[in-house]
Amino acid sequence: MIAPILEIRDLSINFGGLRAVDQVSFSVERNCITTVIGPNGAGKSTLFNLISGALRPRNGQVLIEGVDCTGQPPYRMQAAGLARSFQITNLFDELTVAENLRLAAQILEPTTKIWRPVRGSTIAQARVDELLERFSLTDKARHSVAELSHGEQRRLEVAVALACKPKVLLLDEPTQGMSQGDTQDTAELIKSLVHDVTIVLIEHDIGLVMSLSDHVIVMHQGQKLAEGPPSEVRANPAVQTAYFGHA
Amino acid sequence: MVDALTRSMRASHLLLAILVAASLVVAAIGAALGDIFYLRLATEALIFGGLAISVDILLGYTGLLSLGQALYFGLGAYLSALVLMVVPSFWAAIAATTLASAVAGLIGGFIVNRVRGVYFALITFGMAQVAAKIVYNTRALGASDGLIGVPVIDINLGVTSISSGSPVGFFLFVLALIVVMYALAAYLLDTPFGRLLIALRANEARIPFLGYRTMTPRLAAYVVAAVIAGVSGALYPMLRGFVSPELMYFETSGNAVITVVTGGTGTLVGALYGSALLTLLKSVIGSFTPHHLIVIGILFMGAVIFLPKGIMGSIRPAIERMLARGEKP
Repeated sequence: MIAPILEIRDLSINFGGLRAVDQVSFSVERNCITTVIGPNGAGKSTLFNLISGALRPRNGQVLIEGVDCTGQPPYRMQAAGLARSFQITNLFDELTVAENLRLAAQILEPTTKIWRPVRGSTIAQARVDELLERFSLTDKARHSVAELSHGEQRRLEVAVALACKPKVLLLDEPTQGMSQGDTQDTAELIKSLVHDVTIVLIEHDIGLVMSLSDHVIVMHQGQKLAEGPPSEVRANPAVQTAYFGHA
Repeated sequence: MVDALTRSMRASHLLLAILVAASLVVAAIGAALGDIFYLRLATEALIFGGLAISVDILLGYTGLLSLGQALYFGLGAYLSALVLMVVPSFWAAIAATTLASAVAGLIGGFIVNRVRGVYFALITFGMAQVAAKIVYNTRALGASDGLIGVPVIDINLGVTSISSGSPVGFFLFVLALIVVMYALAAYLLDTPFGRLLIALRANEARIPFLGYRTMTPRLAAYVVAAVIAGVSGALYPMLRGFVSPELMYFETSGNAVITVVTGGTGTLVGALYGSALLTLLKSVIGSFTPHHLIVIGILFMGAVIFLPKGIMGSIRPAIERMLARGEKP
């Protein structure tokens, strides 16, 4: 049997007395969108931090294609095929859009190219052009990140995470703060990515979650409350109590 | 297509070409008038410009404020003096200082790169002060007097040789060497490695998620800067015939930072312009008043307030626009 692309086993971390993530287990199917939902403080972002290596779990395991990557630093996770975006835009603000993408794509070049002039990085440059096109940022390529609108910055955040051609992409609230129209466009965009990459999403917009996800994981107070296809999860009374405050 | 950062670097090259042309004019006039003092002063400006380039690699590109770059400058100066007093060979002195400053930079880099921001600045400062005090108290190194009587040497260039005692010859030689170090730094900064340094300055926290360790590029930048500072320092005893513990003091490190900020942080070439300006000002104002540091201090404050990007940082964008117009769309 082929190992799942991403598998989480009994992942836990404490912050002081608080069990921020408590014994969470799930596995993610290839070329699917798995969405993690839950009220504020449920531990969703902390879970992402544990999976991406930003935080070291107290116990439990993170397996990427069956390989145990638990507690590895982020650059090792990246090497294993995992990339992530951030809930709060985390880019190189004073650099141009193109340079942000090029920096993220330069890992695709053979390592010896790191000592050759940048204009020789043709693989990275091709990736940059491809992403600019796909994320409708070609017109903004020469602008600095600081000059972009919030929506454009959020799109670039996803594009930067995707630039290294990861196998698994963790997207932490990619549509956070976006207008309705932008949110819809971004949803379409994310949906189109799933041919090349497996996506794990944190999302608050319930409508979006239901239309976009193949699989939904509900978190509540650090624990996994339920998981399943969107329709099933929505019908789950425990989820309704925790998430909407009524049954 | 040339991207914005490559274009900025090319603008710096153009400004360097202007500086080199001006230096050649200075050399010609100096030679015609038989001047010694100003040519020596200009050579000193270039040498401290090399130190300032090393500060700019750290501060302007990697975002690391070193307040102790004089440690490597002084190491280079002392080692060069010691080597020259035993073997009067330029190449032996340069080889020894390159190696020693690389090793020292590696050791120092492991210590200082454990911390960030203000702590980085404080530890670089502390390390340099400790080294300066050790030198100051070591009789074998001349203690507070430093080492005097470094011989004038002939620099063997194969086809010809240049005496370190020749005001014009040595000035031109140092100019060439500083240009080589500038070129080396500029080359590195325009590779993906260099871009990683720029990214470190912009947002260090994101780097690991792009697949890179942050320690490796930081350390590499620190070692490169140490070597450039060390080699610059190695030229000092050839010019002045002596070294003293002052070369390692905070005044030297601090001056290098002031030089970079005045000249234009993150422009590389600004380090050289800043050094030329500050060396000249110190000499000119110093000939009128012993309190020249007060004037320099006020000028520095003025530069920070009115020209926050420094001289080259203010001029360079216009050149970048000019270059952009010249490119094919």
